[in-house]
Amino acid sequence: MLGTTVMLLIIAPIIFSLLFVALPKSLYKVLAWAFFLVGVATSVMLVLDGTGKVEVTGSNFATFESIVLILEVLIILYIFYVSAKHKNWPTLALIAISTFLTAYSYMNIAKVESAFFNIDQLSQVMILIVNIIGTAIILFATGYMDQYEEHRHLNRQKTFYFTMSFFLAAMNGLVMADTLGWLFLFWEITTLCSFVLISYNQDEEGINNGFRALALNLVGGIAFSVAIILFSTNLNIANLSEVGANSKATAVILPVALLCIAGFAKSAQMPFQSWLLGAMVAPTPVSALLHSSTMVNAGVYIIVKLVPAFANTPLGTAIAIYGSFTFIMCSALALSQRNAKRVLAYSTIANLGLIIGSAGIGSPLAVAAAIMLILFHAISKALLFLCTGEIEHTIGSRDIEDMSGLIKKAPLLTMLASLGMISMLLPPFGVLLTKWVSMEAASSNPIVTIFLVLGSALTTVYYVKWLGTILSSTMDKNITHHLKPETYFPLSFLGLCIVVTSIFVFTIYNYFIQPQVETLLNIAPAVSGQAGQFTSEIGAFAYAAIFVVLALAILIYFATKNMFTPRPAGYYMCGENNLEKDKLMFRNGLCSYDKSSVSNIYLQDTFGENKLTTLGYAISILLIIAALAGGVI
Amino acid sequence: MNAILTIILVLIGAPILGCLLAGIDRKITSRLQGRVGPPLLQPYYDVRKLLEKDNMVVNRSQNFYVVIYVVFVILSLIMLALKADILMIVFVYTISSVALIVGGMSTGSPYARIGSSREIMAILSYEPILILYALSIYLLTGSFNLSALDKASTPLLMYTPLIFISMLFVMNIKFKKSPFDYSTSHHAHQELVKGMFTEYSGPGMAGIEIGHFFEYVFLLGLMFVFWNINIVIGLLIALIAFLFVIIMDNITARVYWQWMLKVSWTVLLIISVVNIVFLYVTQIKMV
Repeated sequence: MLGTTVMLLIIAPIIFSLLFVALPKSLYKVLAWAFFLVGVATSVMLVLDGTGKVEVTGSNFATFESIVLILEVLIILYIFYVSAKHKNWPTLALIAISTFLTAYSYMNIAKVESAFFNIDQLSQVMILIVNIIGTAIILFATGYMDQYEEHRHLNRQKTFYFTMSFFLAAMNGLVMADTLGWLFLFWEITTLCSFVLISYNQDEEGINNGFRALALNLVGGIAFSVAIILFSTNLNIANLSEVGANSKATAVILPVALLCIAGFAKSAQMPFQSWLLGAMVAPTPVSALLHSSTMVNAGVYIIVKLVPAFANTPLGTAIAIYGSFTFIMCSALALSQRNAKRVLAYSTIANLGLIIGSAGIGSPLAVAAAIMLILFHAISKALLFLCTGEIEHTIGSRDIEDMSGLIKKAPLLTMLASLGMISMLLPPFGVLLTKWVSMEAASSNPIVTIFLVLGSALTTVYYVKWLGTILSSTMDKNITHHLKPETYFPLSFLGLCIVVTSIFVFTIYNYFIQPQVETLLNIAPAVSGQAGQFTSEIGAFAYAAIFVVLALAILIYFATKNMFTPRPAGYYMCGENNLEKDKLMFRNGLCSYDKSSVSNIYLQDTFGENKLTTLGYAISILLIIAALAGGVI
Repeated sequence: MNAILTIILVLIGAPILGCLLAGIDRKITSRLQGRVGPPLLQPYYDVRKLLEKDNMVVNRSQNFYVVIYVVFVILSLIMLALKADILMIVFVYTISSVALIVGGMSTGSPYARIGSSREIMAILSYEPILILYALSIYLLTGSFNLSALDKASTPLLMYTPLIFISMLFVMNIKFKKSPFDYSTSHHAHQELVKGMFTEYSGPGMAGIEIGHFFEYVFLLGLMFVFWNINIVIGLLIALIAFLFVIIMDNITARVYWQWMLKVSWTVLLIISVVNIVFLYVTQIKMV
């Protein structure tokens, strides 16, 4: 039963990707709805099937092994082809190294007789994220891409949907495969798909950024294949789940560190962050898919899986400091950005840093926080990316300053975007709960804690700024904005997911997180929950109380609303209003009118990219070298 | 049962106490300025009068944020009184600060937006210190729950003098007093009209004032925790903090928000971190 579901999860998205190629554009909406339903059904099926291992042996295994080999060769040939075609020499050099390593491992690694899929609770969570959020994003795209392509005179939707769906298949494989060789194939497929999607616009910027993503992820891929070779030759390990069991061997540390570096590259941690920022040139559904629910999660997924190998070792401490450093650095960088997509990009890198930092701490509580943050971050960030895309279509800009007055132009969209932002920084929502858990868990390591404290203050600032801007009402004219079901359904659905997962956080914790942490570390986090509280040995997070009080506040507001009849008035402008025009004018000394304009504070001189990026590169590279050195010694 | 009593006490006692504090503040301030000043209960008269006024609004949803602000200030005060998780209290308190900021921005008035964006910078300045304060409690008791402090025999202040100094400045920022009163001000010398609250009047403004009463008690409650083993000395510490804020308000002039950010992210943060590192290194435990 489990075996069937596993196969179905990989094959169904591939079938859909072929259907997108075969069928005409007019059927895409129907297809996307069907894909969404299938995604929900198959992922729920996997959860209901429970956990376990699926072994692939005999003739099946031989067939799959040859498919894997053919696909690997095809990927390599394709990358050779595109990088030669666009004369991108660094990528060409990297793929040459990568080919050499693949060939070497093919010749020298001892052959295995069977391959495994390992379904644990983390895989289940990831499958739910990939197949529910991922398909919701594709559904959103059907309402988004027509307008997008119209603006840019493109007609590449077949490639787009094919790659997006194929990506989900690869991602499903990645989070279920246990055999490192297969996992690596899926890993490389996601790299390749992201290249195709990022260079979607086919303009110079798109192609350059696509190549940057490809090159940086190939660096990660090379680290990955070296790790596979080391595992196989020195320790006779072919499966990911065996890595943790061998954690006592010293030879295991170096390949684990290499796998972590592969994870850093995939999760766009410093110094690899530039590929994720460059990826923002792609259409918004691509950003949402790559940066919330799939691509970047692959990196943190593998790091969490490796926790037993580095928990409570110097390598673990180095990873904790590295992750929390990325968190504070990228939060500071996000503060200085006006471009909404760049804010989200930096916020994504920062949150992934927090996940990696928590995994690095390695205590049961911290690992629980890491897994929960993967889940909550994926939902909130998918919603925020999609909202930004829809905002861009509504007002024609992704500059935060241009978004003031959005509440009047598109109320529902603004409410959903606000929900997304609030869920990123305030209790009682899941992301803050995990931030609380990781802060309590990190309190044993002063450097990590101080990074987390400062980073979380910066996070509050850049989100509140944006939140206030979209909720501010200006006197601008309302513009008509029609609601399309295929864009608003995914948005509302994700919004609902945020609320529901936050309310049922303890159920989720009991069902998925606690057993997973037990599998990884053999101890459960000392967390209990009664009466809507999340109680650890060192504190308590009363999320239910906050929900109740929030409901109470809304009740009080509506109860008292009629006691004081509101009387609308214009702004107070020190008696110099110009009531005839748009009421935002000041009278100047020449008796003519100047428009008042106010903008948020971005602190570009302190936190600007030109000030911090070099510093970030230097420190993060030093930390990685320190982690590797710790691994070797 | 005790918890319910505490909640009732907070709901009734805190606004009265806060109102008196606001009255004392105005009394002392006017004496320092050589005026007679309003009666002690003037803040109460103000609120009563504001509630009778028309509900003039720029934006129909602006008062919603006031309700959120008041309710969450009360919740954080209740959690403080019930000795809950201090980190959690800080986060809940953040909700109320954010609600006020968003409320100010939601009016769309340029004055309010300037005030709000300055208040956002204030969050950047004080929030790390509040969390480090919470962390110091954890380091000394092994728990973020304030109830763990009950078992202590020495006051918190003994081991956290530097954090105490930082917290005094946080009080100054959160009371919105000079030299940090750039987002909104209690004095009439502001060029920003009333900053964040420019477009609030009547019942909305009354709500904000009532919220302030609770907030005063909450903030001084945080100072009380520094010497919670002895109620009298604890109250004295809170009173000293309150007087410090008022005197600072009257002897200093307001500064640029950039200055505040510099002071807090250099001096205050560094001394707090030094204090935290000291606690790590020495591994002192109060219980």
